[in-house]
Amino acid sequence: MANHGYTGKILRLDMTHRKATAIETAPYRRWGGGHGMGASLFWDFCKDKTITDGRHPANVCCVMTSPLCGTIVPSAGGRCEVVGVGVGQYPISWFTRSSFGGRFSTMLKYAGWDGIVIEGRADSPVWIDIRDGHVIFHDAENLWGKDTWATQLDIRKLLRIKGGTKTHWQDLQALALSEKDESRGEDFGRTTQKPAILCIGPAGENQTCHAALIHDAGNGAGQGGFGAVWGSKNLKAISVLGTGGIKAHDPKALLQARMITKEKYVTSWETPDFGAWTRLGRLPNPIIQVPPPTSERRPQSCQGCINGCRARYNVGYGNESACQETSWYGPFVRKVAKTSAENTEINLKAADIVQRYGFNSFVFQTGLHWLEHLYEDGVLGPGRKIPSHLPWETIGTLDFAEKLVQALSTRTDIGADMADGWVQAALKWGREEDLHTGALQFSYWGVPEHGYDPRAELEWGYGSLMGDRDTNTHCFNYIFTNVSAAFAFGKPLRIRAEELVNLHAKKLSPYAKGRPEVLDYSDANMYSEAVAQIVRWQQHYCRFYKNSALYCDLKWPDFINTNLPDLEGATASPDAGEHVFWNAVTGDTLTFEDGIEIGRRIWNLDNAIWVLQGRHRDMVHFAPYIYKTKYNKGELFPFYMWPCRDDKGQWRYTDLMGRSMDKDKFEEWKTTFYRLEGWDTKTGWPKRSTLEKMDMGFVADALQAAGRLGEEES
Amino acid sequence: MKDDKSKSSGKLTRRQFLVGTGAFGAVMLLPGKLVAIPYAIPDSEGFLLVDLKKCQGCGTCMMACALAHSGVASYSLSRIQIQQDSFADWPDDVSIAICRQCEDAPCVAVCPVRPIRANKPNPKQGYVRMIDQDLCIGCKMCLTRCPYTPSRIQWNAYSQKSQKCDLCVDTPYLGEKGGPGGTQACVKVCPVNAITFTTNMPDQESEESYFVNLRGRAWSKLGMTTE
Repeated sequence: MANHGYTGKILRLDMTHRKATAIETAPYRRWGGGHGMGASLFWDFCKDKTITDGRHPANVCCVMTSPLCGTIVPSAGGRCEVVGVGVGQYPISWFTRSSFGGRFSTMLKYAGWDGIVIEGRADSPVWIDIRDGHVIFHDAENLWGKDTWATQLDIRKLLRIKGGTKTHWQDLQALALSEKDESRGEDFGRTTQKPAILCIGPAGENQTCHAALIHDAGNGAGQGGFGAVWGSKNLKAISVLGTGGIKAHDPKALLQARMITKEKYVTSWETPDFGAWTRLGRLPNPIIQVPPPTSERRPQSCQGCINGCRARYNVGYGNESACQETSWYGPFVRKVAKTSAENTEINLKAADIVQRYGFNSFVFQTGLHWLEHLYEDGVLGPGRKIPSHLPWETIGTLDFAEKLVQALSTRTDIGADMADGWVQAALKWGREEDLHTGALQFSYWGVPEHGYDPRAELEWGYGSLMGDRDTNTHCFNYIFTNVSAAFAFGKPLRIRAEELVNLHAKKLSPYAKGRPEVLDYSDANMYSEAVAQIVRWQQHYCRFYKNSALYCDLKWPDFINTNLPDLEGATASPDAGEHVFWNAVTGDTLTFEDGIEIGRRIWNLDNAIWVLQGRHRDMVHFAPYIYKTKYNKGELFPFYMWPCRDDKGQWRYTDLMGRSMDKDKFEEWKTTFYRLEGWDTKTGWPKRSTLEKMDMGFVADALQAAGRLGEEES
Repeated sequence: MKDDKSKSSGKLTRRQFLVGTGAFGAVMLLPGKLVAIPYAIPDSEGFLLVDLKKCQGCGTCMMACALAHSGVASYSLSRIQIQQDSFADWPDDVSIAICRQCEDAPCVAVCPVRPIRANKPNPKQGYVRMIDQDLCIGCKMCLTRCPYTPSRIQWNAYSQKSQKCDLCVDTPYLGEKGGPGGTQACVKVCPVNAITFTTNMPDQESEESYFVNLRGRAWSKLGMTTE
């Protein structure tokens, strides 16, 4: 196998016996990288695929790179995928995924590894020290109990990495090594870089469902509770220093495509269009949810990014946090902050708190409102039905934020009940009704709704439910934000509804090419075959391009781009499309559609694992409130604008609020979806004929042996 | 900037002539007990300048540099080195180490290869200080002689030779002409335009003379300081 883009080796960590071995990447090459490769490794190495809690010793957690990691592929070089059985979902914690950015995947590639497979459980805390091909297990007793930032700084000290940003070239051999290390004396390379460290904080050590993996100050893999998975394996951290490189198949083409991206698809610095409708083509700007604390700052990005979405400031807080973690506390801070500056400061310091505890703040997105209501209704608090001694009367203060996160990270106070899942806690507290009224808006698989309600933004909701988690996939979601913002703030609608859907339809190959109706989310079309096709397209696109090739979810796909006269974005383009970069790095000759097909294969492997875990179509339901109540309160805007066809077939931007989902019609939609996927419509299980067409007969064999293979239609 | 020097690019200054002929001591004792003979060389006709407050730390310049030169994306093979500390605050969280194309380049002076030095200005390429990979013997003397931190000379572990920034003169994978008058991969690829090229030699007595403010109106509109 040509190793263009790949290192050729995957690191296998046997935590139980503290042993590191290398396995060949070649047998897993057909899965691309990232999620696909990780799912295949899980398939091979997880001996009990019926487990439904990621803290089970049989669970296998894979931390995976892609061939594009460590290269200049725009907004793809720095992502990293994590897979394994998760923690805290309801009713079953599925085989699931998360991802994070920064430098880790790049450094891992340069150290010579395409990924890491973590198996078993150490009998006491350890951290892993990877320097190029050398892997050392270190005792982590002195790191256990420390937050994620202290852990990383302590590991730097243990490695005797010099502080600051003007340090000499460091010969890896000169760094501190274990006395037991047998590699001493072998050749190491040189670097000026700090080690890239991925670690857990108290939330992970205590194996709570909201535990994240954290890297650097603000890169986190939140969903899935993989921090708890690491905690269960007594794995505190993995540190990587790499001095090698990644050979590209066609470096000239790679450089050229990158330059085209910058010069053609990204708005110019000289005459910037700050309101451009594009995902790839904007200038760097932090997507924090509060006004920046200062102009004394820089944009900060993952490796290889074309436009950084985070920032580092001179104020000493908020560095590298972005998006939801900067607003998890926002609605409550607004009640106490006296000034905008104070509002920003508390919110960004609250972001620092969740980063340090290694806590997935997204559970607070809708969850903290629920807890506050329980307190205000006299249900939760000192001496009440749900006892809590947290100072709820001070919610909105920084002090409360830390006390709350600490409790939930350490299984104290209400954290004791919530550590295994929020819906589980609701049931334990006798609050099942809250899932019917929508007081607890955890809409699919026991995880919170994302702000893009399933009753409005169909591909998000349907995709999450047909998958394993809140999809957190922003392929089409910018339509809502751009159009709604235009209506809300009187901004110009850069593209009319009909033109917008037609532009998308050009790039929705193969299932929905030339079919703009797939984006019609009107009441009349919301349960249609067309909507099933857009959900399929998104799942398959993401399983390969986003989750396996590791293109950034916030930058790709780039369907439309007002920086270009024809408004056509970079996605699937012949000069800087996703497949162009893939081929330049790997030497493959993929078409854009080939990538979608690999994604379909990966999606089928995922579904097979879910089926082995116990999935059946009868359990594939939204939370009851999605069917029983109407979507009437938006998180960002008082309306949810989306392109729809009216009674006369004319495309208009239309408000999707005010509707609920019809359960019977959604059941019919599920049947349509399963049929299109080639799955048994009675069970949702994959069929042999479908799997064998994708050269996945081995999956069909396993499903058949488990008695869970879909039936062929007679 | 030393304007007088830029105008006389390619010619020997009086000071260089004197040093070169040994009038003020042909032999210098350098730290580390190595002896180097000062070597009169024409000024480079090109220099990189960087804006430390603008860099977004994406490392794209490093990877592009290594790709353009060797076809391999790598930090360690990059002629430009970005160092960042995730736990430091702006502006001390990022530094950029570029080869200064020194007027009196110690790395050139110390090169022991004779009769033709491996490390020398290239008269066909604007006197850019370049290490000839065919001549380099891998002694690492230039690596240690560079007075800046980190050393602007890299050790190529694959070839077991030294390498340095050549302003993209020798870039088989760049796809366009490099060097002074041509393209520099790092300049062209940087997403925020934090690196630029000049023909004017920065003040050799000042480390800061290679740092410039490249933050313009768009930067200000994005809410970031241009001061």
